[in-house]
Amino acid sequence: MNTILNEKKEFPMLEAVNLTKKYEDGLLALDDVNFKVHQGEIYAMLGGNGAGKTTTINIFLNLIEPTSGETKINGIVTHQQPLEAKKHVSFVSENVMLYPEFTALQNLDFFTRLGGKTNLTKDDYRQVLLRVGLQEDAHSKKLKGFSKGMRQKCGIAIAILKNSPTILLDEPTSGLDPKAGLEFMTLLDELRDEGKSILMSTHDIFRAKEIANTIGIMNNGKLVMQRSKAELENADLEKLYVEYMAGYMEEVA
Amino acid sequence: MFRLLVEKELKNIIQSPKFLATFLTCSFLILLSIGIGINEYFNMMEQYNTAKNLAKTEMAQARSWMALSAKAFREPDPMQIFSAGVNYDIGRYSIVHERQDSKLQNSVYSDDPIFAVFRYMDFTFIVTVVFSLFAILFTYNTVNGERENGTMRLVFSNAIPRSTFISAKFVGSWLGLVIPLLVPILVGLLLLVVFKVPLSAAHWIKIIMLISTSVLYLTFFIAFGILISAVTKYSSVSFMILLVSWITLVFIIPRIGVMTASQFISVPTVAELESQKDSFSKARWEKHYGEIEKVWRARNAEMNGMSEADRQSYREENEYKWFEEDDKVRNEVQKEITEYSSKLSDDVRNRKATLENLALNISRISPASSFQLAAMNLSTSDINLKNRYEKEIQNFRQTFSTFTQKKQKESGGQAGMFRISIDSQSGVKISSGRDESSLNLREVPKFTQPSHTISQAVVPTIIDIGLMMFFTLFSFGGAFFSFNKYDLR
Repeated sequence: MNTILNEKKEFPMLEAVNLTKKYEDGLLALDDVNFKVHQGEIYAMLGGNGAGKTTTINIFLNLIEPTSGETKINGIVTHQQPLEAKKHVSFVSENVMLYPEFTALQNLDFFTRLGGKTNLTKDDYRQVLLRVGLQEDAHSKKLKGFSKGMRQKCGIAIAILKNSPTILLDEPTSGLDPKAGLEFMTLLDELRDEGKSILMSTHDIFRAKEIANTIGIMNNGKLVMQRSKAELENADLEKLYVEYMAGYMEEVA
Repeated sequence: MFRLLVEKELKNIIQSPKFLATFLTCSFLILLSIGIGINEYFNMMEQYNTAKNLAKTEMAQARSWMALSAKAFREPDPMQIFSAGVNYDIGRYSIVHERQDSKLQNSVYSDDPIFAVFRYMDFTFIVTVVFSLFAILFTYNTVNGERENGTMRLVFSNAIPRSTFISAKFVGSWLGLVIPLLVPILVGLLLLVVFKVPLSAAHWIKIIMLISTSVLYLTFFIAFGILISAVTKYSSVSFMILLVSWITLVFIIPRIGVMTASQFISVPTVAELESQKDSFSKARWEKHYGEIEKVWRARNAEMNGMSEADRQSYREENEYKWFEEDDKVRNEVQKEITEYSSKLSDDVRNRKATLENLALNISRISPASSFQLAAMNLSTSDINLKNRYEKEIQNFRQTFSTFTQKKQKESGGQAGMFRISIDSQSGVKISSGRDESSLNLREVPKFTQPSHTISQAVVPTIIDIGLMMFFTLFSFGGAFFSFNKYDLR
């Protein structure tokens, strides 16, 4: 399972190019957003509600189409070849909702097969569930009795089993208790070490600073700040965030 | 991919608690309806045989061929186990007599009105009402439920074409509902064999067709449920729309067909028809009497100035000719009245037929009506059952009358009158003119049940089956196109 990607890709694994989304009601959800996530990197998108983080992820997943610009997964333009692009991505949502009448193993079996992995066994599923921290006695229980944290673990287990080179995470730690949040971040660290490219939207400034290679701050559909971990080493991210969100500063076109 | 999605859909349905409840309810209702149907069929057969034997005994009491009357009985059909249709509404027998109109009388509902109030719960009723309700209960959130639960985003984060997803939803829901419902139906069919219900090959063909039609009807509601689920964002909205649609399609439209049609086509009642006939007849005769009076005045005027003897001789000379002329005119008047009366009856019959067709066509807007009409046709308990019997009984009446008239003539013809003789020795003596030995009941023609071939049962169902297919394809097509534009977020 712990496949480390050997070949370092030159081009970004996830990329947003001049990404703009204007809804029919006139709302400008994304305004010329550009960023890149290379192999073995974690990019954290920070921003308040309605900043455009989820819209960006939805465009990567081709759940909505951009008004202009494009998103690429592994170099494939998502709205032009959505099915091909989705073969290279896994997704974990804010509130992982799987089929409540299925057990954890059944859900894993369904979603990994749906992701194209048809040769995995129950033992593989169990190993991954244990890796993400789900106790063995929960593996055969129906999802309807699971807590949010347990469902989140199943979601990340599905992403791991799909073994795609890129992972999209939509506020994955929201609502998790500190211990579960920490475990989750450790897991992300491991996945990055395996060579996965991860795009994560989050409200959690501190965890973002701790784990991300690059942090982008979004406000009203614009990517107003983008800095690497090294650039933020001595900066007060919280202060920066508040200032950018208040609209005092804007540095990214 | 498609197979995986279908399997998931199937598992999702079968593992849900509502599936167990639905399966048990349907199994219980189907087996109960078939069980009651079998029992009712055997009861009616017993009544039919007893009534036939009694009628034979009654015939044996007849005093002459002219007094002989027969009874034509409607034989119960085993297909009524599946669809009672109009079976209990129309009479079970008709008295056949030369001088009496033959009409089916003594329906089950006229004997036991309580059943008319609540009707029988047959297989067709269960499919029409219960199956369709379960179909919408299982499909109302097929698409929007996944969006609400959040599983839609996760599913479509994989390389799944929308067309595959919606097709798998349809096939999965279909398999998840139809196959489990076929189990109690097959057990029900086994009951028919165990209880030795006399079923011919034609009956089995009709039963298979009826089950296929039931599956088609259920398929429509599955497709319709998915359609509504794919055009709405929230499952609470789709549930309300489907519930209202279900009530409209299953209960309202089939009933408003006749009411709406009668707004467009008025059919006079029997009383109105008779009154129209009577007024015409009365007016025509009055006119005729007026004309005759004028004619006779003219004839009398021809004799003005003649002596009484000449008048007498003139009258005797022309009287026969005058009577012939009068008779001819009278016959023409009678003919005119008969023609008018027949034209009125034809007109009413045509209006009735047009009304019936319009009513049925209006009600066919609903697949529930189409299904019920198809089920009744296949079960030979359709709206024309009464006409078929009455036509056959009319033919039998014709044969029966010809036979009794012929026999009456051969036996000396006393028309079953009584002979009353008064004798000072023995007093008053009443005797019939019957020659006991001349009534051989074995020669009496027997009533044969009207034939209704498979093609006669199947051909009228084609339009209904076609309509159900159209509605199903329309619903699925609608769901398919709606889902292609569905907001997956």
